[in-house]
Amino acid sequence: MKQFEAEIISNRAVAPGWKELVLSWDKGAGQPEPGQFLSLRVSPRSDPLLRRPFAFSGMSEDGGRVSAIYQVRGPATSILAELAPGSAIDAIGPLGRGFPRPGPGELAILAAGGIGLGPVLFLAKSLAASTLVLGFREASALPRLDLPQGCVTCTDDGSSGFRGKPSEWISRNVPSGLVRLYGCGPAPMLAALAGLAAERSWASSLSAEQWMACGVGACMGCALRRSDGAGYLRACSDGPVFSADAGRPSPVDWNPRRPT
Amino acid sequence: MSADLSVRIGELVLPNPVGVASGTFGYGSEYEALVELGSLGALYTKAITLEPRPGNDVPRIVETPSGLLNSIGLANPGVEAFLTDKLPALLAYPCPVIVNVAGATEAEYLAVLQRIEATLGPQASGHPDGPGIVGYEVNVSCPNVKHGGLAFGTDPAQVERLTSSLRAVTKRCLIVKLTPNVADIGSIARAAEAGGADAVSCINTLVGMAIDVGQRRPRLATVTGGLSGPAILPVGVACVYKASRAVGIPVIGLGGIMGPEDALQYLLAGASAVQVGTGTFVDPTTPARVLAGIGSWMEANSVMRVADIRGMLR
Repeated sequence: MKQFEAEIISNRAVAPGWKELVLSWDKGAGQPEPGQFLSLRVSPRSDPLLRRPFAFSGMSEDGGRVSAIYQVRGPATSILAELAPGSAIDAIGPLGRGFPRPGPGELAILAAGGIGLGPVLFLAKSLAASTLVLGFREASALPRLDLPQGCVTCTDDGSSGFRGKPSEWISRNVPSGLVRLYGCGPAPMLAALAGLAAERSWASSLSAEQWMACGVGACMGCALRRSDGAGYLRACSDGPVFSADAGRPSPVDWNPRRPT
Repeated sequence: MSADLSVRIGELVLPNPVGVASGTFGYGSEYEALVELGSLGALYTKAITLEPRPGNDVPRIVETPSGLLNSIGLANPGVEAFLTDKLPALLAYPCPVIVNVAGATEAEYLAVLQRIEATLGPQASGHPDGPGIVGYEVNVSCPNVKHGGLAFGTDPAQVERLTSSLRAVTKRCLIVKLTPNVADIGSIARAAEAGGADAVSCINTLVGMAIDVGQRRPRLATVTGGLSGPAILPVGVACVYKASRAVGIPVIGLGGIMGPEDALQYLLAGASAVQVGTGTFVDPTTPARVLAGIGSWMEANSVMRVADIRGMLR
């Protein structure tokens, strides 16, 4: 982990509202692993104030560049979206705990929902063999990226590939057996994947998305409810990837609950 | 001759005026890879309570204009786990460490302090100026817990009684952290002084609320939270100005410090030292930049001792 000034190599649109950022990477910071993230300060101004976390979506072969796919959604990502190649940006990383390798004999099933695509693509590239299942709202949301051969595309409206959610495709098409189910996406998708893993006694490694203030484990702001009811886990440093062995519940309660 | 950056608080001498605020720096290890701990004037730990606290329901944080609204709820492992798991590393850090203490009742604050004192043993006499646990910061100002915290910090009589009962069990530096959520911060500062505090620190966060208009729902699970960041800088500076004119003991200023100018405002307003909090989240080099900038300002203004800045407001 290190704080350094990264150079923006490219910052191109890859889908409606999505961009792919490529940054120079200081190798002294350590080599990023799939599932880990970096935090960026998009502007020296005080509004927007906090750094923003972005999951790595890839790394160049020589380790000198990293990428992140992000959705332009609020003030910080809107500023980021306007930064031109050659600009400097304050980066900290790699942060958090990434995806573990599949255990001996475990089949790797990778599911991504929406912008959760980035870390899952990075993971797929690092594995010799995996089944990759990607979910999107509709065909027009599919990114212009080199998606791996043989990956399964799902859309909510059936406008491309399988009609339905990645969890539904996996439930129908993956036979029971020794599986590690990897996932990154919106909370309802993670809840569905955790439920599926529990039902089939699969191991799971699911990556959370949460607002963060410090990104390093100090502020306790990015808490997620533990599934055993015993308090909270930090998305930034206990995660963002939370793993469970076969037959064990996911450590995080993925079911979105309204504030009481 | 180089400038004298040291700060005297009661018997305690801190190497420089720039500390890192409680609740924003964990127990130090979280930031060890990013911040040179040896350059810190003091490290104020995350608050410790008698029993472990899981913290508040989520969501706990939301960004507001130039601010951070939080409701963590004093999440901490409790004093026993603190002594076992956190203290050994804290004692080995190359900077002075001040343990922030919180509780729901006076008895709880007292028990936490006694437990830590019993483990550390009495402080060596003389002027402690090295690393180690050199003092306590008493949190009577957390807006995010139902009992204790603010309930103490808004009542001068309770602040004085709590301070004097804690004073009786430690010779280490005792700092009372004040809330800005009061009509007259001077009266609370005087109560801490009367109770035997070596210093007061101000300010803790301001009570705030943010609403998701689309959902028609508060953005924090606890509805209200504590506001920090640049948005509260002028409030903190005013509180330090008032508190430092109400008491003879040193005042430690915090709230919204992002750079040297912000810290210098606090020092000119009457603070003897400062703490960087949310500014560290935004940029972990903030404490070091602030310290360097104070040094440059002193040089440019021919000020030899950081302690002299306090009297320089025109």
